[in-house]
Formats: sequence, structure tokens, C-alpha cells
Amino acid sequence: MARTPDAITDRILRWSGVAVFLLLWETAPRAGWVDPYFAPPFSAVLGAFGRLAAEGTLASHLLISAWRGLSGLAVAVAVGVPAGFLLGRHSPRAGEALEPLLRLLSQVNPFTLLPLFLLFFGIGETAKIAVIGWVSLWPILFYTVTGARTVDPLLVKTARSLGVNGGGLCRTVLLPGALPTLFTGVRIGAGLVFFMLVAAEMLGANAGVGWLVHNSAMNFQIPRLYAGAVAIVFLGYALNRGLLTLEQALFAWREAPSEAVTGRAARHVLRPGKGGAALAAALLILLFVAGGWEVRRVNLAAVSGGHSHHGKHSLPTPERIEEEKQLEQDLNGWEPFTDGGKGK
Amino acid sequence: MATLASPSETPVLPKIEVKELNRIYQLKRSKGGAASEFIALKNINLEVRDGEFLALVGPSGCGKSTLLDILAGLAFPSSGAAYIDGKKITGPALDRGIVLQGYALFPWRTVRRNVEFGLEVKKVPKGERRDISSRFIKLVGLEGFEDRYPHELSGGMKQRVAIARALAYDPEVLLMDEPFAAVDAQTREVLQDELLRIWGETKKTIVFVTHSIEEAVFLADRVAVLTANPGTLKEVVPINLPRPRHTGDIRSSAEFGWVRHKIWELLQNRPEEVPTRHSGVPVAEAISPTAAL
Repeated sequence: MARTPDAITDRILRWSGVAVFLLLWETAPRAGWVDPYFAPPFSAVLGAFGRLAAEGTLASHLLISAWRGLSGLAVAVAVGVPAGFLLGRHSPRAGEALEPLLRLLSQVNPFTLLPLFLLFFGIGETAKIAVIGWVSLWPILFYTVTGARTVDPLLVKTARSLGVNGGGLCRTVLLPGALPTLFTGVRIGAGLVFFMLVAAEMLGANAGVGWLVHNSAMNFQIPRLYAGAVAIVFLGYALNRGLLTLEQALFAWREAPSEAVTGRAARHVLRPGKGGAALAAALLILLFVAGGWEVRRVNLAAVSGGHSHHGKHSLPTPERIEEEKQLEQDLNGWEPFTDGGKGK
Repeated sequence: MATLASPSETPVLPKIEVKELNRIYQLKRSKGGAASEFIALKNINLEVRDGEFLALVGPSGCGKSTLLDILAGLAFPSSGAAYIDGKKITGPALDRGIVLQGYALFPWRTVRRNVEFGLEVKKVPKGERRDISSRFIKLVGLEGFEDRYPHELSGGMKQRVAIARALAYDPEVLLMDEPFAAVDAQTREVLQDELLRIWGETKKTIVFVTHSIEEAVFLADRVAVLTANPGTLKEVVPINLPRPRHTGDIRSSAEFGWVRHKIWELLQNRPEEVPTRHSGVPVAEAISPTAAL
């Protein structure tokens, strides 16, 4: 796609809000408008961010969080999509009968479930993945039901007239027909995953971006806290962009909104096509595998009583020593559950 | 196809046979009240010859689409049966292809992949699929559009794709349910001409449902006239207009007008009132009954 001057202006305009915000963030603490201890200037946050990145711990936290988020999402898709087709298409009467119950369940606040899930599944990864899966399940389930119900009946009729039934019908007509709606559910679910992920990592984890923020707050490492928050923003934004790219690639066959509807000249939409979809999928899988490996490594290290990964490669600065001491304390407590000792 | 209409044709097994077919819907009443019945099709007897172009006309609610669905194996009669090549129709199969009013193209498939759909169901190998789809895309005049998605096509082009898709897996019978109802008048005439050309080239048996008398007369060898409440087959009118029909302006000929008027009369359902209705008929039609059929 050629960049015309117009496109460049457009880009600058789109990001100018972010630029102004960052500028304010930098100047406000320096000018003394806010307490620089609680709101350090952006450059200090960047410094902390840079240190974390240089240590390699940031990548580790991001990988671990991404893995947890993706696992939870995968569980939700694995449960929600078949269940959605079952309730929306296969037995719509059961779907109608169960709808009030499902709506009620979907309203259960996942934060209240977190302690319950910890009781049921223990403090390992299962509880976190379960609660993340729980929150993202509902939009995926409901959107799949809607998608399955609203597949064009003429398409079903056409396929049926060729003797296509059951699994074949599902694969050739129902799934592709419901996919755009279903995917919207996945995207909404992915957004919720992030809220829940951070919360779950704050309550019971020894790594991950949520843990990074929580741990920094507990240790009054304010710039590091902000760096963690920025990392969460970055991760969420990247996941959303990735899903959007995947969506555009998968549904390139959809009608672009016409000029008459938008009231603006049609903008060139990047259509990554099959290559883009394959790339996005490959990236997701890579992220998943690398994250799984990292989680395993960190958890093993924690269980074997060794120090967890953070700070391994860095020089022992005073704050680092303090942090390690804190960690030791936590580990010697009851589990590799780092804030276990902090409830006092 | 000229031999089809000739009286010297030896009687053979009909391609499609409908015998004493009834379709009754049970309507649910509010509680306490008795369930009432709606007779969609009542005692239909019909034969379609091999290679014949038969049109079904009738007002909405006469059950013509239901009859087509039964022939497609997608709906089932309450009593009686439909046969294809002497075999009772019990479900859908690849010996019949359907074309619906709403195009029903798979929006996520390109033109080529839409045309290949039936071939995939038939498990035709990929290379062969490509050859066949290319041939049928050419037949309907859509060369160069193979890789377009349906939303990038006009209504007429979409319907051409639907026709190519229904023909590609080589069914013996083509069932068409008001296929040209959604396109504009000019496109419709073009598609009608095209359909006759394709029919001539492929020699399929076609059952064509329409609510347009003119379309039925222009296309068909015979027109089956259905009336509503209950859906009954009133008469099967042979159309002896010369073929090919797409050359010249056959629509304005006296014969055309006469047949059209005859079917219009049949559709009024109250033959005794017909003479008083002549004032509402265009002059050309009112005077054409004198013409020999």
C-alpha cells in the first residue's frame, strides 16, 4: 500500500491524542503539578520499562500473561462454540429453555468466583485459566448461538438439496456462515480476558504482568508499576490488533460498507488475505508455545525453591535485594503464591 | 428440442411423475379449539418428459414452491408421491439441481468455488473440478469473474453463478424457484434468453416456478397452471410457439398474446365471470383469441 501524503497526515492526526497525553505525563510531574513520587514522569517509566526489558523479565512476564490469556480464550472457544451450535442450531428449544439460566450465570461476577476457583482448582495455572475462560465464555457462547441461528436459510436449503447433512452441513455452511458473528464474540471475550487476567495474576501468581504491577505496588516501586501498566496496555492493544487483522483476513469476502452508508469516501482497506491469516495464526501459535514453555520454567523454578526468573540476570541493586528478600519470604510461606505472605 | 413438441414422439417413461399428491399442513389452534388444516396441494397429477421445459405458474399460496420442494426432496407429501425415472423421491440427491430466487450463493466462496460446491460434495478430484467449473462459468458468460466474491457481482451475475452451480454437478433435472424474480426487467429478459440457450446446449429437464405468465409462456414447452385455496393443478397448457424463441420479438406476436390470455383466464379461478373482465385486458389480447394456437 503506497503511503500518500494524505495517509501520513491521517496517521499523525490519529496518534496526536496519544502524543499530547504522553507530553502531559512528562511535564506534569516535572512542573510539580502532581507528586512525582506517585506519578513519575513518562521518561522515568520508560527507564523502568527499559530496565525490565533489558533484564529479559518483561518478555517473560508478557509471554506468561499472553499464554494464560490465550489458554483461557482457547478453553472458552472450545466450550462455547460447540455449545453455541448445539443450543442455537441443533436443539433450539433447549437453547430457549436454558437461556434465562445462561444469562444469569453470565452475570455472575467473575471476581467473586476467583476465590472459589482457587479452592476448586488450587493455586496453579488451572484456576487462572478457568476464571479467564469463564469470563470470555459468555460472549463467545451468546454470539455463537446468534450466529448459528441466523445463517441464511437459503444457503442451508441449497446445501441440503445436494444431500449435504449433519457434519458436512456444519463444516461447509453453518460454521462459515456463523463465523463472522462468532468471531465478534471472540473479540469481545478477548477484551474481557485482559481485565480478568490482571486481576487473577494479582491474587495468585508468581509471574505475569498483573503480578508485576501488584508486586511493584507492594514494594513501592512506582515507576515499575507504571511500566507494568504500560506493558498491559501494550499486550491488550497487540492482541486486539492481531484479532482485527485475523478478522479482516478471514472475512475478506464480506461486503465493505458503502460510501452511501458511511457518508465518506471509501477508504482503502488492507486485505491481508490467506497469507495474513496464516501469519496471524502462526504468530498466535508461536506465542502460545513459547508462553507455555516459559510458564513451565517459571513454575518449576518456583516449586524447586530456587528464585523465580526475575532478577536472575541483573546485578543486585538495593531494590533488587529487597525484592528478592520479599520473594524468599513469600516462597518460604506456604506456596509459590507470592502475595500469600502479604495478606497480613 | 423441436422433437419434444412433435406429436410423433414415442411415449417413454416420464422423467418426473407426480401421482395423487397431497400436502396438508396442520395449523395449531388456540387451546380448546380444534386443529384446522391448510391444504397446500390437493390431488396433484403431473408428468414431465425427459428434456422438457415445464413451467409452474400460479398466485402466491398455490403451493407451487411446495411442489418444487417436494420434487427436490426437501419437503414431503402428506399422501401420494413424486417419482423421478420411476423411482420414488425420498430425499435430496445429486440428480436434481435447484436454483432459488435469492441466489443463495455462499458469500465466503468465490465464483469458482461456488460453482464447484456440488462437485466437492460429489468428491470430484480437484483438477477435474477446475476444468468443469471453468466450462460452466464460460457457459453462463462469466469468464474473468472466477475469483470475485458474490458481493462484487450484480444480481443478474449472481443468478448466472447460481445456474452454473446447479448445472456443474450434472443433474438430470433443474428445479428453478422464481429464479429471475429479483432482477430488473431488462436483465430478466437477457437471463431468459440465456436460460433457453443453456437448456438447448445441456438438454436438461427443467421445472421452472414463476408467478409471471409471460415468463412461463416465453420459456416453457408446457405451462402447468395452479390455483390457490386449495392448491390444485387446473390445467397443463401446451405452448406450441416456435423455437428458438429468443430471436425476434416473439412476445408481441398474436399467438403469444393468445396463450398468455388463456392462462390468465385460467388463473382467474372463476371462469363464468371472465367475459365481463375483458375490459381490463389490453386490446391486443382481447382481439387475439381469433388467432390459431
